Amino acid sequence: MTVLYSVLILAGLGLFFGIALVLFGVLFHVQEDERIKEVEKMLPNYNCGACGYAGCHQMAENLVSGKEPLVSKCKPGKKDKNYDPIIAYLSSHPDPDGTVHVPK
Amino acid sequence: MNYLAAFVMAIISYALIDNVVLSRFYGICSFIGVGNKVKSSLCMGAAVAFVIIMAAAICWPLYNFLLVPAGVAFLDTIAAILVIACLVMVVGLVMKKFLPALYQSLGIYLPLITTNCAVLGVVSENIASNLDFGMAMANAVGTSVGFALVIFLYACIRVRLEASSTPKAFKGIPIALVVASLMAMAFMGLQGIGA
Repeated sequence: MTVLYSVLILAGLGLFFGIALVLFGVLFHVQEDERIKEVEKMLPNYNCGACGYAGCHQMAENLVSGKEPLVSKCKPGKKDKNYDPIIAYLSSHPDPDGTVHVPK
Repeated sequence: MNYLAAFVMAIISYALIDNVVLSRFYGICSFIGVGNKVKSSLCMGAAVAFVIIMAAAICWPLYNFLLVPAGVAFLDTIAAILVIACLVMVVGLVMKKFLPALYQSLGIYLPLITTNCAVLGVVSENIASNLDFGMAMANAVGTSVGFALVIFLYACIRVRLEASSTPKAFKGIPIALVVASLMAMAFMGLQGIGA
């Protein structure tokens, strides 16, 4: 009985909070630059923080906005696997107003 | 009337005498990490206060009306963590939508409220000491006021420290730790109020 109740209660709580979070996620959705997602996919996604940002997502944001000029700040990244694809992607995808931020 | 007096006394005691950061040593991570800018420290204080008060308000009925009657009171910690994680996600989503600059400046410390032991500490203390709902809320309010107050004071001191000339070896975090210990000693002076 104890096992059954534990499983039921925790599953119920998890389900309830999951649904609540989905609702909040839809309600407070923030439109983001699509390039951030693409650049994030090309980073190693270890979220190690060696670049000095909180995680790969923040690093991608700064690369896209041009605030971070060095893609090589990403320590676990490899030149051919991560750096080069990001540089190629960002040089072919400029900002909406036409400016190109190409990191090194 | 007696209960009201006890309620107010409990808030003061949790906020000042048994301060969450400086006497019970909970939530040091965000205290050191965010306490270097006044604005982000205030926002961190507010975010933690929201999470603590909401978590206490949700976990108390959850424990007393669901877990205990079902005979699974040992699930208290894991249930509390579920509640806290959900609340922190909500705070993050709301902040990203309405205060993006603040969301940036808090960075990783915002999701880390999930593991801030001040939050879990309040919830499990309420359960362990068998407090009634009013006293549980007094604990939550007092603890959040204490946390917000201390992180704000700390940020004010650290902003001034940055402008002053500290010895080279003490620059940055070392002098900040010294300041934290001095503040803890100053708060020790309040211990006499209760007695």
